[in-house]
Amino acid sequence: MSDLASRLAALRKQAGGRSPASVGADSSANQPGLSPNKVGPAPPESPMNRLLQKPGVDLAALRRMAGVRERLGQPRMPPRTFSRDVPGEEIAPGLRYLEQRYAWPDAPSELDLTFARLTSARREHVLHFDTETTGLAGGTGTRAFMIGAADWHDGGLRVRQLYITTMAAESAMLRSFADWIDADTVLVSYNGKSYDAPLLATRYRLARMTNPLTGLTHVDLLHPVRRRYRQVWENCKMQTAERNLLRIVREDDLPGSEAPRAWLTYLRGGSSGDLVRVAAHNLQDVRSLSGLLVEAHGWAALDARHAQEGSLHGNEK
Amino acid sequence: MAAYLTSRLTDEADSALATNHDGSTLARRLSDKYSDRVATAFTVFGREGQFVPLPDNLPAGLSKALTAHGIERLYSHQQEAWEAARSGSHVLVSTPTASGKTLCYTLPVIASVLEAGAKALYLFPTKALAQDQVAELLELNRAGDLGVKAFTFDGDTPGDARQAIRLHGDVVVSNPDMLHQAILPHHTKWAQFFENLRYVVIDEIHTYRGVFGSHLANVLRRLKRICAFYGVKPQFILCSATIGNATEHAQALIEDEVATITRSGAPSGDKHILLWNPPVINPDLGLRASARSQTNLIARVAIKAKMKTLVFAQSRLMVEVLTKYLKDVFDHDTRLPARIRAYRGGYLPTERREVERAMRAGNVDGIVSTSALELGVDIGSLDAVVLNGYPGSIAATWQRFGRAGRRQQPSLGVLVATSAPLDQYLMRHPAFLTEATPEQARIQPDQPLILLDHIRCAAFELPFVAGDAFGPDDAGPYLQVLAEAEVLHQEGERWEWIADSYPANAVSLRSVADGNFVVVDRTEGRQTIIAEVDYSAAALTLYEGAIHMIQSVPYQVEKLDWDGRKAYCTRTRVDYYTDAIDYTKLKELECFDGSKAGEGSARHGEVHVVRRVSGYKKIRYYTHENIGYGPVNLPDQELHSTAVWWQLPQTVLDEAFRSRQHALDGFLGAAYALHTAAVVAVMAEPRDLQKAVGSGDGGWSAQVDAAGRGQIRAQDGGLALADALERFLPTVYLYDNFPGGVGLSEPLFRRAPELVTHALATIEGCECKAGCPACVGPVLAADENREETPRALAARVLRLLGAAA
Repeated sequence: MSDLASRLAALRKQAGGRSPASVGADSSANQPGLSPNKVGPAPPESPMNRLLQKPGVDLAALRRMAGVRERLGQPRMPPRTFSRDVPGEEIAPGLRYLEQRYAWPDAPSELDLTFARLTSARREHVLHFDTETTGLAGGTGTRAFMIGAADWHDGGLRVRQLYITTMAAESAMLRSFADWIDADTVLVSYNGKSYDAPLLATRYRLARMTNPLTGLTHVDLLHPVRRRYRQVWENCKMQTAERNLLRIVREDDLPGSEAPRAWLTYLRGGSSGDLVRVAAHNLQDVRSLSGLLVEAHGWAALDARHAQEGSLHGNEK
Repeated sequence: MAAYLTSRLTDEADSALATNHDGSTLARRLSDKYSDRVATAFTVFGREGQFVPLPDNLPAGLSKALTAHGIERLYSHQQEAWEAARSGSHVLVSTPTASGKTLCYTLPVIASVLEAGAKALYLFPTKALAQDQVAELLELNRAGDLGVKAFTFDGDTPGDARQAIRLHGDVVVSNPDMLHQAILPHHTKWAQFFENLRYVVIDEIHTYRGVFGSHLANVLRRLKRICAFYGVKPQFILCSATIGNATEHAQALIEDEVATITRSGAPSGDKHILLWNPPVINPDLGLRASARSQTNLIARVAIKAKMKTLVFAQSRLMVEVLTKYLKDVFDHDTRLPARIRAYRGGYLPTERREVERAMRAGNVDGIVSTSALELGVDIGSLDAVVLNGYPGSIAATWQRFGRAGRRQQPSLGVLVATSAPLDQYLMRHPAFLTEATPEQARIQPDQPLILLDHIRCAAFELPFVAGDAFGPDDAGPYLQVLAEAEVLHQEGERWEWIADSYPANAVSLRSVADGNFVVVDRTEGRQTIIAEVDYSAAALTLYEGAIHMIQSVPYQVEKLDWDGRKAYCTRTRVDYYTDAIDYTKLKELECFDGSKAGEGSARHGEVHVVRRVSGYKKIRYYTHENIGYGPVNLPDQELHSTAVWWQLPQTVLDEAFRSRQHALDGFLGAAYALHTAAVVAVMAEPRDLQKAVGSGDGGWSAQVDAAGRGQIRAQDGGLALADALERFLPTVYLYDNFPGGVGLSEPLFRRAPELVTHALATIEGCECKAGCPACVGPVLAADENREETPRALAARVLRLLGAAA
């Protein structure tokens, strides 16, 4: 702090020595309503000019003034012992990688996408993805610190996750994720068209990298689910769909809204406990995406059968 | 009714004057007939137009469009601007009102769109001006089939249109607030726009003064930072009305050199200016007729002389009252289209657009406006301008007069003085208006709290790297404060945004509170929104019982839903209007720091400013007699802010002054002088930093009354006498007129001894006798021979506060 104070003192000294941003340098009296009876520029040594002075920066004063407006400063948590262990393998400085595989021998090889007003997609082209971010505020100040993706690979479902433990590793994460995508990739997400994809577009732009998601087919399951179940369920959140369609009920799940705090805590030198739970949450999200996709894939056939049965009933009447 | 008939009779008497006239003959006739009222008459001579052919290097399509649009040659300053812009300079155009400034930037912008597919960003201080601009661009576009896409981008732009504007807009017309809150924090969505951004046009830069201007300068720093990220360095083209330091102000805003163009090539006619003092109607009391009656008379005569006339009033209420009086004369046949219209803030945008259109089309003979028409809203040309009261600044006075004058025809401008000391002073000393240079615009973008706000926003937009400057200074200390507040995270050399918040939403560029009130007409079961009133004006105009006028049609407010921001009213027919009674008082909440100041003390701390509307008066039309009061029961308008204040102990005052009234007058004069010095010291606008005189314990507040004397208001709002107070502890406050403060008063406290000394030097060096607007505030003629002048009293207070002579 004393270092800062001395820097500020130096700054103030430096600032005091310089004339203000060239404004009003030739002012005579700068009376709000009226100027005085003298016309023309006053001599440069007028007392008004000596008054013009750049404000100095006094850190204590700055904090106090900011405090009047914001009353900053929450009490700090007392230090205690905690774990800093993080799962996965560090594949670049600050970038960690996790991979899990789940057997799924009978996944359909061609997925019917008529539910999303599309034709179909080959199983090997599908990539389910979901990000965990530092918040919901939007704009250039929100970033993804974790990206999870699931695809069908080697006869099973493969879930790969990237997350960063330093901010500097963001570029490496974006580059790795881009490597998982090619021109044939069909993206699958839940609300990703409005949230994850634009957010990643911003991050790629800020990192001066080409956005790999541009131009790809993107199946956002939120909209078809909402069309089909809006009248049926209390809401169409992902976990509602997961519970009703896949019969999955999460235990000890860290709510998504807690993710920013969990990551920040770790970033600022705190416990990794909740960050581990974020990874588990994200893992479940992308696994469920694949389940929901297969479920939705079946809707067209199911509806056709119902229609047929309906018309059979009609014939019997 | 009798009064109305009298006014009709006066009118007959005036009819001798009222055949067709131009500004010159009417000015002469008025001066002859009312020589006792014309304090000064003078003429601002017009000039010949200087025309040049369209430049050869204009793109062919643009030349064709201009010709098709009826523009076959340029004024010389338009050509100068074209050349300066083409040479790559930042350009400032500071020519008089209505000299064709728009074309100065339209030409280079459209040329770059046509030639290089470049983009341009326009910033206007109001939405209305932005819409005018787009309409004009589209007309030129149509005339030449140019294919240039121009859009407004403001708070009203629907979400689905925004995407198209970002991708396809060649010219995006917006305002500083949108740039700050919607464009910069989402710059990646605007990537294509920024990558091709060639010009940034900022019009009406004289409006960006004080804190607002300091904010804009910082928004421009952020804009330049984003532009650098996308590898562009746009050129700025700035326009200003006449102010004392347009070039310096432009350079302070963009922090770069500008090429200034001030010589207008547009032709103009002679302007005949009259300074008009209402006649004395009661010589014993020295009472003059009201400014309102005189403004009404002059406007009536001018309109009868078939001159298109614009009346400027100082308040929205006065706009409505004057509109009514003129309508009573000119619009009594309601079947005909209105000849008289009102224009002011608080009308619905559609209403304002409609009035503008009617004015441009020449269908309106008289318009009554607030300062809303000071800016470049296009209403066509006018023959006469009447100012009901001095607008408060030389620059604004000339800007308003500048509204009159078609081409070469002579025009008339009349400034009608009110009884306010400042107006009366002007009548006695017209050189204050005629010989002094207009006010200077001042900004202080490096003011720490403002800087902190914008570094916060900038860090959200792009990370800072150690050693990065923001403006001229190293951003380091600010980044550290922000990291301590846990909105930034430092990692190695980089400071990155980390909080889940959108900082631009918490930083307002203007000192206006959000939350407009809508006024709903419930007459006969209707539910129509007839007006929108901003928060700050609501308490003064929408209390229950208020007569709220729109185009002088009276509605009575029946119910005010304060939390829901709605006022319900019905159409009414009453012969009175209402005027709110309000007062302001100030109370210390916490003292941060204090020091001795001569025999007294100077302090700095947090204060609570309360503005209360305690009731309203009913005032009958024409006679202006007070026919009753009504109570108002509204929440206080509260402001928590920071302030610096000075006090002297009662014993010192008792010894130094003959009476408490003398001491109080001294404090009011000292407050005026300190405020003047402080405004210069921190480069603030007078409105950003307010002054107040009151009791140190918040018990009473004091103001200068119409007779030029200090007047004390007790806690309950009633008048009190200084001698009757139990404790007498007058205090001068200077406080930031922004919620939470903006950091103006803190440096004032640090420099308190210097300020007091400077204020005294100003008073002692002043050439006036008893006091004037340059030192302790205007004084009335009667006070010039007072035994103890306001000037001497104020100087005594400042000496007691430690001012070194």
